Amino acid sequence: MILEVDAVSKRFGALAALTRVSFAVAPGQVFSVIGPNGAGKSTLFNVVAGHYTPEAGRVHFDGDDVTGVPPERLNRRGLAKTFQITNVFPEISVADNVRVAAQSRAPESGRLASLWRRTEVDHLTRPLLEAFGLAGRREALARDLSHGEQRYLEICLALATAPKLLLLDEPTAGMTPGETREATALIRAIALERGLTVLLIEHDMSVVMGISDRVAVLHFGEKIAEGTPEQIRNDPKVIDAYLGGADD
Amino acid sequence: MRVLGWRAVVVFALLAALPLVPGMSRYYLLLAFDALLFGAIAMSLDLLMGYTGLVSFGHAAFYGLGAYATAILLERGVQSVWACLAFAVVVVGLYALVVAYFATARRGIYFALLTLIFAEVVYTFFRYTQTFGGSDGIQGLPDATILPGVPLDTPLKKYYLVFVYLLAAYAVCRVVVASHFGRVLVAIRENEDRARFLGYNVARYKMGACMISAILTGIGGGIYPMRSAFATPDLMLWTESGEFIISVMIGGLGTLVGPVVGGVFFTLLRDKVSSFVDWYFIVIGLVLVVIVLFMPRGLLGYRKVLGFSQWRASG
Repeated sequence: MILEVDAVSKRFGALAALTRVSFAVAPGQVFSVIGPNGAGKSTLFNVVAGHYTPEAGRVHFDGDDVTGVPPERLNRRGLAKTFQITNVFPEISVADNVRVAAQSRAPESGRLASLWRRTEVDHLTRPLLEAFGLAGRREALARDLSHGEQRYLEICLALATAPKLLLLDEPTAGMTPGETREATALIRAIALERGLTVLLIEHDMSVVMGISDRVAVLHFGEKIAEGTPEQIRNDPKVIDAYLGGADD
Repeated sequence: MRVLGWRAVVVFALLAALPLVPGMSRYYLLLAFDALLFGAIAMSLDLLMGYTGLVSFGHAAFYGLGAYATAILLERGVQSVWACLAFAVVVVGLYALVVAYFATARRGIYFALLTLIFAEVVYTFFRYTQTFGGSDGIQGLPDATILPGVPLDTPLKKYYLVFVYLLAAYAVCRVVVASHFGRVLVAIRENEDRARFLGYNVARYKMGACMISAILTGIGGGIYPMRSAFATPDLMLWTESGEFIISVMIGGLGTLVGPVVGGVFFTLLRDKVSSFVDWYFIVIGLVLVVIVLFMPRGLLGYRKVLGFSQWRASG
């Protein structure tokens, strides 16, 4: 297992955002966590990404206990994340956005030599920009991109750090249905090509069903089901959570 | 040459030839000294303000401590320019390490306030204790020596010292902003949290930028008493920090060259206006308001105010 989340709990004051949530992701899998808004998906995501430290439970990544390890160290170990709200470097070009991400893995990164060395990373950034259709926009400022392009740049930034595990937080948020289909197909293809493991957080069921190997469902901070997309689709508890309960 | 680019080479060649201009009096050489010194310090501050997005309100303390370091050695008979500047680097470096450690733990206005508070503490110490001469500072310093037996005694030699300092500081800043490190600084300016999630230890980069900026400023401070023959607490006053910031703003954030132009402009303007009227700060203030209103990106604002412009060509 590349990622093991073991009985993680996280509270915000009186609100139990997560209660003893456990799951494990095998290498190469696309694993999705779904649930209605407010189910605790983003909290779970932030715990795995190192943004929050849980009150109880452990997170193991690639064999090491990484509970509470800060995000910059997690990233250097091979875990990259994208943000639900686009989070790029707005006033610099698309190419420079991806370059600063890609050079993060260079040997001089974090060393004194980084003060005078330029790291040539264009051989890494070019294929990424091409794969996401951003090659023609490389000189544009990130803030001038369309919403869909910014979502792709967001994923490019994470991929440029050459992760083993990619965490995607609602990557298709705000996209049209057509864009969403295109984006999910692209994510699936890139994960396969790079041998990536993907942990996808989504509230839109239609996005995850087509691309996931396994799906876990959160509801009010608890995992209520886990299985293949087929099993999840037919699980009465899941149907109840989505159609009754919290409104989406 | 490659580091500087041909335009900078031309400008530096012109600056090197400046003393050859007919009618270049002692007065104008020393004014040029002040202008370039001020410009170089504004440029050092730009590394922090324009590239990393951190506004320091405490650069006067780096400047003043550098000046005192030189003054203390000159007063005690250590006259070598290089020993004085090395001492300034050590003193300012140690102080900057403390300031940078605490100030970079906070963002935005809190960073600015912390740098200001540290600087005020240093100012108060030099101003209100008699350890280093109180409000009079250290006066009547002898000339420094470039080499044993070669005194730094004429305005011409002093001008060239500041010229070399500006050249070296510019080269350092250019290399740093074009480096791996410089790219991360711009990323921090743009979006600090995202930079963390790309694997960068943001605090360490911010500290590094502070240290480089502070030490370059401290060397400038170390040069100042070699021209003025004194160091006073007023060099550390917060208004001095404000003038550095204004120079960066006038010239154009994140351009390096802009703040040099801003610093030179500010120094010349102050010199010209103050020789006519006592209330010269009102005139300067008005000029600055006009610049900020009509050229919000500074005198060099027609250029892209971006960190990586030189990278673009290579991509």
